[in-house]
Amino acid sequence: MGLTSTPSDLLPGTLELLILKTLVSGARHGYGIVEHLRLASDDVLRVGESALYPALQRLLLNGWVKAEWGTSENNRRARYYTLTTRGRKQLAAERAEFDRMVGAIQQVLGTT
Amino acid sequence: MTTIFRRLRYFLGRSRHDADLREEIEAHRALRQDALERDGLAPEDAAHASRRALGNVALAVDDARDVWTIRTVDSLWQDVRAALRGLRKSPGFALVAIGTLALGIGANTALFSIFSTLILRPLPVRDPGSLALLTNGSWSYPIWEEIRVRDNLFDGAFAWAGQSFDLSPGGQSDPVDGAYVSGRLFDVLGVTAIRGRMIGPADDGGAAPSFGAAQDAPSASRGADGLVAVISHRLWRQRFAGASDVVGRQLTVQRVPFTIVGVMPPGFFGPDVGRMTDVMLPFAAEPRIRGQESRLARKGSWWLQIMVRLKPGHGIEQANAALRVAQPQITEGATRTLEPLTLVSAATGRSSLRRQFETPLFAMVVAVGLVLLVACANIASLLLARALARRRELSVRLALGGSRWRIARLLFIESLIVAVTGAGLGLVFASWSSALLVQQLSTWESTVSLDLALDWRVLAFTAALACLSAITAGVAPVLGLKSVTAGEALKDAGRGIAGDRRFGVRSTLVVAQIAVSLVLVVAAGLFLRTFASLNRLPLGFVPEPLLVAELNLQASGGPAEERGPRVERLRDAAAAVPGVRSASVAAEQLLTGGGWASSLVGVGDGPMSPTRPFLWLNATTPGWFETMGMPLRSGRDFEAGDRVGSRLVAIVNEAFVRRFLPGEQPIGQDVRLGTRRGDTVGTRYEIVGVVGDAVYTTPREGMLATMYVPVAQRPPETFWETVLLTINAAPGRRAAVERDVAAALTRVDPTIAFTFGTFDQLVEATVTQERLIAMLSSFFGGLALLLAAVGLYGVVAHAVRARQTEIGLRMALGADPSSIVRLVFQRVGVLIAAGLAFGLAGSLWAARFVEALLFQLEARDPVTFGGAVAVLAAVGLLAAWMPARRAAGLDPATVLREG
Repeated sequence: MGLTSTPSDLLPGTLELLILKTLVSGARHGYGIVEHLRLASDDVLRVGESALYPALQRLLLNGWVKAEWGTSENNRRARYYTLTTRGRKQLAAERAEFDRMVGAIQQVLGTT
Repeated sequence: MTTIFRRLRYFLGRSRHDADLREEIEAHRALRQDALERDGLAPEDAAHASRRALGNVALAVDDARDVWTIRTVDSLWQDVRAALRGLRKSPGFALVAIGTLALGIGANTALFSIFSTLILRPLPVRDPGSLALLTNGSWSYPIWEEIRVRDNLFDGAFAWAGQSFDLSPGGQSDPVDGAYVSGRLFDVLGVTAIRGRMIGPADDGGAAPSFGAAQDAPSASRGADGLVAVISHRLWRQRFAGASDVVGRQLTVQRVPFTIVGVMPPGFFGPDVGRMTDVMLPFAAEPRIRGQESRLARKGSWWLQIMVRLKPGHGIEQANAALRVAQPQITEGATRTLEPLTLVSAATGRSSLRRQFETPLFAMVVAVGLVLLVACANIASLLLARALARRRELSVRLALGGSRWRIARLLFIESLIVAVTGAGLGLVFASWSSALLVQQLSTWESTVSLDLALDWRVLAFTAALACLSAITAGVAPVLGLKSVTAGEALKDAGRGIAGDRRFGVRSTLVVAQIAVSLVLVVAAGLFLRTFASLNRLPLGFVPEPLLVAELNLQASGGPAEERGPRVERLRDAAAAVPGVRSASVAAEQLLTGGGWASSLVGVGDGPMSPTRPFLWLNATTPGWFETMGMPLRSGRDFEAGDRVGSRLVAIVNEAFVRRFLPGEQPIGQDVRLGTRRGDTVGTRYEIVGVVGDAVYTTPREGMLATMYVPVAQRPPETFWETVLLTINAAPGRRAAVERDVAAALTRVDPTIAFTFGTFDQLVEATVTQERLIAMLSSFFGGLALLLAAVGLYGVVAHAVRARQTEIGLRMALGADPSSIVRLVFQRVGVLIAAGLAFGLAGSLWAARFVEALLFQLEARDPVTFGGAVAVLAAVGLLAAWMPARRAAGLDPATVLREG
């Protein structure tokens, strides 16, 4: 895995899942999401803007998150994303699906 | 569903959305820069590094934006660009196709905009839907007074009477369309002035009762501002150059000075559609203009129109019921029995033109629709030819995996672009040609003025036409595409020998074009023959040297008793002008379709019997028959001795003798004319002469029984308000004589108002409608013929080119050129024959719809039908002959070598 994980490296839909999970703890702006993912994965997941913003737009389009302009901790205007109720449901569903997939993959890898 | 909604919202707020995204990404970069600075980097390095880490912002924005758009939209745009490129590559095709459609759509739009303005468009006033017109016919002022005092039955009521007003201070008339209006007209219509004020109830206060006798003391009939007038926006612009101080200026109407108090808003033309009411005066001003002959108190003058506004929530039925309850009081003392008063919706105003032009307009709308159909067939054929010529390319596309749907769409978009461009140009053509058409409707007697603005109806109609044409023209090439298979054209490589099957669709189109063209050519033939036979009708007089001056004796005041001598002086003045061979006076304008008539006639001492058709009447001075070129058959003309007090005499025409005195000697017989029903005595006239027949109403109605009486025997107190000074001018000097007579009239009588015209204009005016129909249908027929010829030529030329190899082979094997021509003609002959057969069937069926518009002609006139078939066959064969000739001239060696 390279320094920056692009969507093609992850399973389809994984980035969206990770973003939804990140937002469970509260509203964050784009940079905050990237930083959270980097720290939480011990610098493994470095998400580039070219992947992050299309993913955020997809989430907006589906109505799973909503965006609002606000002020960041160091007084910059930034756009904050929050989870919607539908987003929360989607997170649960996708998480179950992801677990199923990962389980299946490990099962395949486990057999020799 | 919600995603679609969000996409739509995104689409509408595209630019803001993009800006948000850009700002957001910039904020992202700034936050990273902050972080890097916190890690100890110098601010500049941090800015640099953060920008590097961000990568390509534009690309990120593009990617993010793509989430919202649908791929199809994008590929559609690609197709549009490809189609535009394709059209630019063959400008000849694009020009012909777009030009054809522009003509077709333009002609349709032009006719529709007239149709829409005259028949569909609501009046440009407040809530036109609640207006209702009192039918049927016209009303007298006393009846209006009764309705006015009851206007609480409605949400207001108003009356108006259209008039021609002379704005000239003297001499040659300067007529404009105007109207007398009641005080609440503008208030009820909800029309407000753009300058000054409109006429209000105060200007029209108590007009009729106060009128009484004295014409020079009508202070009660004036409003606070004296005699007031309001003018139209157009008049303000044209006569006053839009002067800002127009309010308060003087305007001479029928020789009486009025004060302009306001200007009507642009677009408001009055309650009459087709008539631009330029000057409006309150009814109270009518006695000032007409003096003792004022019609306000007359119960027998039917000259106004009445409109009401229905109360909110009230239907026509309720209003009618309320009106009929009051009917006995309203119509008390009316001079004729009245049917129950009936209101009809007047959302679109009132127009006398509607009935006259409805049928011809409808016929023309159908004709022009058919032309568009032929035009579409042509474009379809052209597009199809293009599609077939591109078979190689299309076949390669299919072989490379292009979907059939996508290619069909590409072809369809091409026809859509042609249609939209054609429609755009068509709109330009329409706005020009519809104004020209409306001009053709005007005659000397009446000016037609329609405000042909391109409203949403017209635009929607044009857009619908463009879509329809795109579909009609676009379906054929898509159908033709079915014969293209992947890779097939590559194998074939244009070396096919027999390529006929592929032209199936185009052949069908050509057959349809010929059929529709035949229908249009037949219609054009019928209308042209109608027009020609109307023009060939005998008039009974010689119009070429004649000049008519309508003298308005009323406009310049003076009691009726003075009019007779005044006319005498004016006639003498005109007769003395050099170049005038004779001058005489008649009371009635001929060729207007109406006139002065009697419906109760007795011959000798026989009973008075109602006559239908009427006996037409005219009054003339001695010498009038000679001036007109009407021969005196027997007896004498009127002479100086026929005066008031002498025995009443009359001259009749031959049609009169045929009808009332068949086989008898008319001279010396008596004719009695009744005035009222139940009149058994009547007024007795002695016949002193018989003249040749002449047209009285219109040439179409032919020679009607007519009786002439002397002008000089008219009782002075009822002398006519207008008479017609008829002048026979020396050949070629009509224009000079008109000028000199005008000067002579003004010299003798400086206040006289007059208008010049000629009998040619009057004759022309009786066939306005027929001339217009003949003109339009010939134009459309010719256009369809041309389009069909081009279509046929295209198909034959294409077929010949596709069968080049086969033809070359035949010639190499010994076929001579004439047999090649025969070969081509055999196929073309089938197409033409089939088209003519369908066209004939269609024409025979459609002929009955135009029957009402024809004159002295069977709707299935065999000469017209035969002629039309011959014309089409000739044009068709000519169109086929050129490519056939080329085929016969092919050099077999070259063809076979080059494939």
